[in-house]
Amino acid sequence: MLNSLIIFLGKCISLVSRMLNLGSGSTWPGHIALNANKNFIKDVLKNNGRKLKIILVAGTNGKTTTTKLIRSILQENGKKIFENTSGANLLNGIASALISNADIDGQIDKDFAIFEIDENTLSLILKEITNPDFVIILNLFRDQLDRYGEVNAVSKRWADALKKLDEKTTLILNADDPQVASLRLHLEGVNVKFFGLNDMNLATAKAQHAADSTYCPNCEFKLSYSAIYYSHLGAWACLKCGNSRPKLNISTSSVFPLLGIYNRYNTIAAILLAQEVGINKNNIISALKDFQPAFGRQETLDINGKKVQIFLSKNPTSLNESLKTISDLKAENLLLVLNDRIPDGRDVSWIWDVDFEEIVSKFKNITISGDRAYDMGLRIKYAQSIIHDSLFIIQEDLEKAIAMSLEKTPKSETLYILPTYSAMLEVRKILTGKKIL
Amino acid sequence: MNHKLVIGWLYPELMSTYGDRGNIITLQKRCEWRGIGVEVKRLDIGFDHKLLTTCNLLFMGGAQDQQQKIVAEDLQKKASTLKKIINEGIPGLYICGAYQFLGKYYKEADGTIIKGLGILDLYTENPGINHPRLIGNIIIKCHPEFISGSQSKRDSDLRQNDNEGTLVGFENHGGRTYLGKNIKALGRVVKGFGNNGIDKTEGAIYKNSFGSYLHGPILPKNPSFADLLIKLALEKKYGSPINLSPLDNSLETQARKSIAKRLSIEL
Repeated sequence: MLNSLIIFLGKCISLVSRMLNLGSGSTWPGHIALNANKNFIKDVLKNNGRKLKIILVAGTNGKTTTTKLIRSILQENGKKIFENTSGANLLNGIASALISNADIDGQIDKDFAIFEIDENTLSLILKEITNPDFVIILNLFRDQLDRYGEVNAVSKRWADALKKLDEKTTLILNADDPQVASLRLHLEGVNVKFFGLNDMNLATAKAQHAADSTYCPNCEFKLSYSAIYYSHLGAWACLKCGNSRPKLNISTSSVFPLLGIYNRYNTIAAILLAQEVGINKNNIISALKDFQPAFGRQETLDINGKKVQIFLSKNPTSLNESLKTISDLKAENLLLVLNDRIPDGRDVSWIWDVDFEEIVSKFKNITISGDRAYDMGLRIKYAQSIIHDSLFIIQEDLEKAIAMSLEKTPKSETLYILPTYSAMLEVRKILTGKKIL
Repeated sequence: MNHKLVIGWLYPELMSTYGDRGNIITLQKRCEWRGIGVEVKRLDIGFDHKLLTTCNLLFMGGAQDQQQKIVAEDLQKKASTLKKIINEGIPGLYICGAYQFLGKYYKEADGTIIKGLGILDLYTENPGINHPRLIGNIIIKCHPEFISGSQSKRDSDLRQNDNEGTLVGFENHGGRTYLGKNIKALGRVVKGFGNNGIDKTEGAIYKNSFGSYLHGPILPKNPSFADLLIKLALEKKYGSPINLSPLDNSLETQARKSIAKRLSIEL
């Protein structure tokens, strides 16, 4: 009874907040629901039994894209799906998603719920959703040390939380990420599947500075790699304790709808999940061919006849990979936007862990904006071998910065925008006139 | 005369979590832009302690707990050499975890005591998981005798210009550091937490060694401090006063001012 009331009120709140364009309709109803009944999520899921399958997607980078890939494949194959709003990755976001998809009796007429989960929330979610059908763990990079704490602390919390899973859950892990793959060492009874790459043509020549876990998560001995694909992801082995990259269940696909090595991982993770669900390979591939990127993740916009492509770049690894990907596209026009708000992480020191050095000279024009535009300006200044003042322009006002950089971009070329999270939302708002979240 | 510096970077693989590589980049570039030769020696786990004596300037950053434990073990083996060269006045910058290592001990949140190198008269305690980490933008005003004990006492850029004796950075630490009687603070906190959030001190100075909690990283936005380290290292190496040629710091100044403005401090 209480839950019916919560669902009813929650739907009203979200309707009103949408009508008034308050923009927080994706977390408020859930917030109120959890205050009224802290077991709200557990109750609603219990009510729906196992006909509603739950997929949790966790990791530092790639959650939104992987969620969208999974949704596209499942939907194209006739499954009914719902998910939490991107960015609403905490308990309240999940509760809100349940409210908007349940009827007054708490029944949800869907086949799958896909929830993206924050690093810090995974342990909490697994207390509420004790037997998810699938858990995908994409990777673990340093991101927002001020908020999430350090990589090792996060992986320890994950290991503790995953220990409680049983054979009802299929865990899909990135074999190439030593921290993530080593989570298997702590499990019993869970069905574990691995994805990873196996293509020497994609391997990099040397390790990137931002790499995190080059030491064995099991015995702390330095890991050896026979291939590094990006950051600390690759074919790894510990020569001391014998811990090594597990055998891969999937390593490639005939279609990769998005650019960049990081998206190869997201794609094969989604395919592996779809295979586990029982969808046939050809149907998976044909769904991928029609895939459209999630907002701000390689999303392409047409602005007055000029092409703009947005690459969300929120931590050292994601900025490194965005730069590498656009440099392969021979990018010449770049707008970097660095904010330091809560969703971005307040500490911007991480930009010094990004390997700008070999890349900055390739651009014809670089514009820099955001709350911490001057910090990014300094980073670019010190990435040059000789001081070359005209290489970049700093414009703190984002609207002006976008206008300036668009103006400098010739008609036939693309302006690449690399923003942090809150900056990406602002950029999109300015470019499309629409607000997200 | 062509000057040349050897910078020893202690544990770049493990102790470089918070963008502290920016300090090495800044030192390197500010030397190169002036025609000063630089060699950066990467001193990772298992390095030969004798390499320390070939360095003119040392840098060490902070890291995650697991990494710090691996480093602590290795560093204890080099403690006597490091202590010797620090006492001889080889300049060095030690940030966050590295700063804590130089003290007497570090008490972890669970009460475990990790022995420090005992080179600096200070200790650090983590008050436990129920106490928040000290996180945020920070501005400190440096001690008037910022570089006491060095040859360039009289003509320090930092002392000539009061404004540049102000350091801007970002702090993020769980440990609270308390200074002993035999050591001076690097500066007084104007905005932020500093060593322990209570006594308004930040960092420490001993001979030509500087400890601090300032990330950001510290040197790109505090170019006078970077230049001071370069100058101290050159003077120590060549035994005569050195005047560094000036560089254009206007972008650095704007970056400092933009942070100060947000913290309602005038720079």
